[in-house]
Amino acid sequence: MLTDRHRERLLGYTMIAPVAIFLAALVAYPFLSAIYLSLTEKIVGYPAHFVGFRNYANLLDSGRFRIVAWNSAVFTVASIAVKLLIGMAMALALHQVVRGNQFIRGILLLPWIIPTVVIALTWKWLLDLFRGLVNVSLIDLGVVKSGVHWLGDPSLAMLSVVMANIWRGFPFFGVSFLAALQTVPQELYDAADVDGAGSWQKFWRITLPSIKGVVAVVTLLSTIVTLNDFNIVWIMTRGGPGAATHIFATYSYELGIMSQRWGVAMAASMASLPLVALLIVGVVRYLHREEE
Amino acid sequence: MLRPAVLARWAVLALILVIVFVPMYWIVVTSLKTGRQILLSQNVYAPQPFTIDNYLYLFEESRFALWFRNSAITATASTLLSLLIGTAGAYALTRLRFPGRRTFGAVVLVTYLVPPGLMFIPLYQTFIRMGYTDSLGTLILAYPTFLVPFVTWLLMGFFRSIPRQLEEAAMVDGATRVQALFHVVLPLATPGLLAAGLFCFTLSWNEFLYALIFIADDSLKTLPVGLSEFVVSDFAFWGQLMAAAALASLPVIVVYIYLHKYMVQGLTAGAVKG
Repeated sequence: MLTDRHRERLLGYTMIAPVAIFLAALVAYPFLSAIYLSLTEKIVGYPAHFVGFRNYANLLDSGRFRIVAWNSAVFTVASIAVKLLIGMAMALALHQVVRGNQFIRGILLLPWIIPTVVIALTWKWLLDLFRGLVNVSLIDLGVVKSGVHWLGDPSLAMLSVVMANIWRGFPFFGVSFLAALQTVPQELYDAADVDGAGSWQKFWRITLPSIKGVVAVVTLLSTIVTLNDFNIVWIMTRGGPGAATHIFATYSYELGIMSQRWGVAMAASMASLPLVALLIVGVVRYLHREEE
Repeated sequence: MLRPAVLARWAVLALILVIVFVPMYWIVVTSLKTGRQILLSQNVYAPQPFTIDNYLYLFEESRFALWFRNSAITATASTLLSLLIGTAGAYALTRLRFPGRRTFGAVVLVTYLVPPGLMFIPLYQTFIRMGYTDSLGTLILAYPTFLVPFVTWLLMGFFRSIPRQLEEAAMVDGATRVQALFHVVLPLATPGLLAAGLFCFTLSWNEFLYALIFIADDSLKTLPVGLSEFVVSDFAFWGQLMAAAALASLPVIVVYIYLHKYMVQGLTAGAVKG
């Protein structure tokens, strides 16, 4: 005869089993076997053999990988910094001007909803050398004489993919910050007014400290995703010109899918892992703190 | 007379609205132009005359309808699968006491945060080993790798907000725990289930990386992959491509109109990632 407590346990394990089996088979197993494969040399048609950390050493020695790591850092830091700024401006403006008007907020969140592929293609077309809206209007306004090589010039190409990424990502920052702003008690501002505080002081002393948890979580989450972005860069530039916009995920794709060098590709996939793991620990700690 | 500070805020808001608006305007405007207008850069800002030929082309001469169908099947199936597995998991993790519960909850959160950009090569290898690539089923199994942790995490929040006493009352009245789940907890969690489902659909509908790599068969491609490989002999294919872009965005915009009010709740719970 089962006691109630045993019955509860049994039901618990039964209900959790599908999640556990699924995640074990299609997340944990691929992940662990990727770590193992990154320590082997595997060429199509031959069995894999163990090579220790040679793939990682080769990666670190390769000039191309260093460019990729640098590009990933530039892409991520630039995107996140601007998303933070525009997101905060959007949240403050929405909160103070239209009290978070649902309709306007809805419109502003659209870039975050529509498929990333659509966004990347649209930006590629916006920045088209001869017919893109950006160059045509810059010429019409007399800012430039001939079209700017947005996607053909190495540093402008990085700027272009960063712009597209910002456009996609800042609404998420803005709406998250707005939701946090709406929980800050009005009394704090009233008290500050009595003390004669200016709006700049109120922002630094009241607003920012009150919403810093949300700011931290949103920034960490977005950093994880941006660091491992693939879609925008792949569609707009294929990592080019040269390797000017090549980042971690596009590089893994090149090694694994295009060259079929599985060992090195696994090592490249795992390259951002230490940083991602740190960021994940950060998010988990923040979310647990909020729960308590 | 407006104060300068208020004016500045309106200006910021207006500027951001313009930034958001311009690319969307460019999609629609381009999709309504003739090939000749695009090729010769005529009537750049507004089509004159406008045409719906680009939209007709998609259905008459491209595989757009097929891609649309593949996306709809994949997104619907992976959403239902994830809801089923995730709801059970979330209920167990919030309501039932068993050893290992807390650890498993943390594992789910960590799994949710691992980005696809890091997982696609390992997952592809696994599917190759299973001999199961190049089928819509591959994607229907692959998408829940990020959807299930998401659903579980989101619904744990919703379940926690439902008072235990309601369930306990039903059980005192003679209902079993499973009956209480179906008749008390799930009806109350409907907004959560709906939000989770709509989110899952959107994420699957928009997914590109896995679909690009796991599917080689042309007739099984999903919309994002079809769009990314959209090449026609016509030099001014941007008209057709932007028409396709507009139509591919339509389902998620419709979903979003319903989802919008739940979305902000999810955002503040920290359950959704950008």
